[in-house]
Amino acid sequence: MLITWNLLKDILSIPASVEEVAERLTLTGCEVESLTRPGEKLRGIRIARVNSLRPHPEKETLWVAEMDDGRGTALVVTAAPNLSAGDYVPWGRPGAVLADGTVLGAKDFGSVHSEGMLLSAEELGVPQAADEFGILRLPEDAPLGEDAPSWLGLDDVVLDLSVTPNRGDLLSLLGVAREVYALFPGSEWKKNPADLPESGAKDWPVPFQGITLKTPGCSRYCLGFVTDLKGGSSPLRVRIALSLLGMRPISPMVDATNLAMLTLGQPTHAFDALRLPAPEITVRPSRPGEKFTTLDGKSHIMAEGDMLITSGDVPVGIAGVMGGENSEILPETKTVFIESASFDSLSVSRTSRRLGIPSEAAFRYARTVDRKMAPVALKYIFSLLEEWSAGTAGFAILDRTDCPDDDRRTVPLTREKLGKVLLTDDLDEASAILNRLGIIEKSSSPEGRIFSVPSWRPDISIEEDLLEEVGRIRGYNETLAPRLPRVLYGRGDIGPVTRLKGDLRKILLSRGYVELLNYSFLSPSFISLLRLPEEDRRARPLSLANPLSAEQSKMRTTLLPGLLRGVERSVLAGWRTGIRVFELGRVFLPLPEGGHEEVEKVAGVVYGGRDGRLPWGHSEEEDFFSLKGDVLTLGESRGICLDFLRGHEPFGHEGQTARILSAGRDGGYLLRLKPAVEKELDCAPLYAFEFDLGILENPVLPNFRELTPYPPVLRDISLFVPADSSVDEVISRIRSSGGDLLQDVRLFDIYSGKGVPEGFRSLAFSLSYQKKDQTLKDEAVEEIHSTIRNTLTSFGYILR
Amino acid sequence: MTEIFDDLEGMRAEFNDALSGTETPEALQQVKVLFLGKKGKLTSWLKNLGSLPPEERPRAGEAVNSLRDDFESRLADRRVFLEERQSSEVERRSGLDVTLPARGRTWGGIHPVAQLMHDVVEILAGLGFSVALGPEIEDDFHNFEALNIPASHPARDMQDTFYFPDGHLLRTHTSPVQVRSMLAHGAPLRIACPGKVYRKDSDPTHSPMFNQLEGLLVEKDISVADMKGCLEVLMEGIFARPLKARYRGSYFPFTEPSLELDIECVECSGKNPSCRICKGTGWLEVAGLGMVHPNVLRSGGIDPEVFNGFAWGIGLDRLAMLKYGLTDLRVLFDGNVPYLLSGRTFSC
Repeated sequence: MLITWNLLKDILSIPASVEEVAERLTLTGCEVESLTRPGEKLRGIRIARVNSLRPHPEKETLWVAEMDDGRGTALVVTAAPNLSAGDYVPWGRPGAVLADGTVLGAKDFGSVHSEGMLLSAEELGVPQAADEFGILRLPEDAPLGEDAPSWLGLDDVVLDLSVTPNRGDLLSLLGVAREVYALFPGSEWKKNPADLPESGAKDWPVPFQGITLKTPGCSRYCLGFVTDLKGGSSPLRVRIALSLLGMRPISPMVDATNLAMLTLGQPTHAFDALRLPAPEITVRPSRPGEKFTTLDGKSHIMAEGDMLITSGDVPVGIAGVMGGENSEILPETKTVFIESASFDSLSVSRTSRRLGIPSEAAFRYARTVDRKMAPVALKYIFSLLEEWSAGTAGFAILDRTDCPDDDRRTVPLTREKLGKVLLTDDLDEASAILNRLGIIEKSSSPEGRIFSVPSWRPDISIEEDLLEEVGRIRGYNETLAPRLPRVLYGRGDIGPVTRLKGDLRKILLSRGYVELLNYSFLSPSFISLLRLPEEDRRARPLSLANPLSAEQSKMRTTLLPGLLRGVERSVLAGWRTGIRVFELGRVFLPLPEGGHEEVEKVAGVVYGGRDGRLPWGHSEEEDFFSLKGDVLTLGESRGICLDFLRGHEPFGHEGQTARILSAGRDGGYLLRLKPAVEKELDCAPLYAFEFDLGILENPVLPNFRELTPYPPVLRDISLFVPADSSVDEVISRIRSSGGDLLQDVRLFDIYSGKGVPEGFRSLAFSLSYQKKDQTLKDEAVEEIHSTIRNTLTSFGYILR
Repeated sequence: MTEIFDDLEGMRAEFNDALSGTETPEALQQVKVLFLGKKGKLTSWLKNLGSLPPEERPRAGEAVNSLRDDFESRLADRRVFLEERQSSEVERRSGLDVTLPARGRTWGGIHPVAQLMHDVVEILAGLGFSVALGPEIEDDFHNFEALNIPASHPARDMQDTFYFPDGHLLRTHTSPVQVRSMLAHGAPLRIACPGKVYRKDSDPTHSPMFNQLEGLLVEKDISVADMKGCLEVLMEGIFARPLKARYRGSYFPFTEPSLELDIECVECSGKNPSCRICKGTGWLEVAGLGMVHPNVLRSGGIDPEVFNGFAWGIGLDRLAMLKYGLTDLRVLFDGNVPYLLSGRTFSC
């Protein structure tokens, strides 16, 4: 929302600089995003008269003008086609500076010595103010020799305000003036643009049947009438003001409606009276499927709940959003009906968003427009058109109102709440602040006061709203010294999930993993890359109805794609050595009975790198077991011993895929990726793990054995076992036959090849026996050890 | 008699010469044999003691024994010295290049946003706030309605939303967790809600997914001053130094009054008019905050006439960028390991 400092000062006298006003607006909730000075660079440009004009003696396309700026004459060469003798134009003599910083000089064009330049609107920094191609011609009353930029109003400051959605009242010059009036107690009203004389009451010279309101979404509808519209353009200074306010000048009629909106906040719309289908206006709900073409030439299909302006039941406008092509004013239009109405904000907002028409009108209606402004805006437009001699007004305003004017709502402010929230009991100060905002005290008691709220502040309806007004204007910086809440009800607890994640992050950090934070989206292409079959619920991700792109159209069902992408990304970024990445985050899985669940996962991917050379040789290479160590450590940190079972994943190497189990619950996988997948990713080997954080949720407390002074006795066992027997299986057989004395079983050697029977491998274990209350005797150890050996033999293992 | 002692002194001098000339354990052994061996000089002297007159023997014996003890102890010292010297040489010869790279895994890193999240919840735990978590896929009630954002309210324009075909949505803020916590626990309540949130927006300063941390306190007789105190402790904790704070009025549908918190520019402290971080304003916008709107308390099943409180939201990504000097939001989420590691204080 743009306003200019000069326009504001026409309304208010303000005892502060523009910078101070901007700062104060920002601190009180209306952020001033920028201050720009459009004429800042312009220097030495004066209003001058074209004394004479003749074609350039040698150059066909050029003209030679003799210029007079009251300080003497000089020749200037110009290519502009729109000049004639007697015109007043801005002239920059040598040394003058244009809006873009260009410094003018003198230059010879053939035999003519040209002093500086005659300037266009663009060169003055306001290209939109031009109403013809060429030099900017000034009105005949332009004072010869004066500084052109300041006479044109370019020595102004434009404030760009960021208005929050609750403050629709600030979307006008009048609204900002009211706010500044409240912020600066020394300021005074000079001229309120809403204070206008009554308009004429002449009967309309055309038959008109009236206005009918058939929807509660329109509570007031005013219609004005103007004849003898002139075409052409608005006065130059109006065009410049509109340009500074970010609006393109079009015609006096359109410019007047725009100025009314920018000044008073009231959107209006002009219908060509001859093109209106019938001499009446009806505001009614749309019929589903009804079609309508807006004045930008786009056609729309209405839905239930949209509001239409109709004439003879033919739609001529979408209420509060945009008028129709069928009744739009044209350059030759002479007679217009001007609508100025009050539409329901939610209805306009919904329609405008659904149709994708973010018009200035819809933007304002969505933030509510002061109902009382409807007839005022018409009077304002009439006065402009008459001032510009651009049309004949003076006709009565038709004002159709559905309900009585919103009489001023009342809201209480109590001493108690003021004290509680703002730590002050000064109701007089609060009342004075509110009073300047137009929120007037109606009654008073020792406990509090009752205030009535003006029509332009629909955002104020409860006591807290008044607290905000008082708080922001008193200022939150000068008052309310920071303190901590005085009562502490209990300790703060980071909670099990966040604590667990913190622990896992530290462990993975120390095991050389880098944490990635990937988008929760999933590119559908990963489902086929990972060969996920349809029955796998990871192949059926939730889909967004309105994704930003196909790549981000689904919700991830596994953390693996993001990590693989990270590896790819890192390789592309030039990383050549090993990469270990992990992520902690949620996946979104469909449930068989419908709906979905969010599951917290941890996952890691390890890639040896494009260049896996290490000064230490192969001992540092990654493999299945180095990742197994990582996963085990994550479990051990919680006192949980994870188990690994040969298993399957569609994207896993068929010989190097394990399920990760905790107390028998399958939590996820540890694997090398299928070579075909590695090939597609052009990275091999790739190892990965992923499991539910849930399996680590409940930490197991350490269960310490009794300390014993008696040393363990160690014995080894070497075996040939069938190649398909897992180490876990052998160990569990040793343990189950080992009794209480057997403390630990540790694999220390594994071998296959020469000397080992076909289909077997050699395993060697170190067993430790211990008795806590006495030294174990050799005979006792021997007895158990041979029991174990016999048991193992019975399973078909061969003792060495 | 004195001759004996003169002889002994002569032998001591001879021994000293021999000992100081030894450079190896073998040479040392030779010296030992030369003086203390069966046919050694001192040994033969001992044997000669018998030829002395009886009255001289005790003193002469004492002198010889003392000399032997001295020789033995000096030999032992010399042995230790030579062995240690030899070992040192061996150690030096097998010396390492300590500047070789480390063996094992030294490249880990915690994501800056995650690190900051942990830091923040630690600070807040010290203020009595407990972490509360909730779903990322939400419904309209918890994400909007309960937070005083009715359908078609222009405030919804502030938060462009991703929807699912069934009407569910990706939460646009972590505020729904506040609603769920109020409904589950009532007041008094102090919670911190970290988590991912989503808005349909993507450009250099907006990412469709980002990380927020909201706090909520609902107790009795809470003022704006209490809110300021908590936020300033939090900011000081994050940046590990006190920072000037500035509060501005603002608007959020779920708080009334609503404020925004600016802190002094962490880069230039307002001293650089062309600072790229604060754009020369000297201030950085870091939090939206306010006193919880009575409608929100009611949605949470809490009586606003009994309890009141405040809530705030901070963007963890932006704060992490400020704290760690990152300049492009998007690199936080694009999985670029070299980049994530490049910000560390050491290199390899």
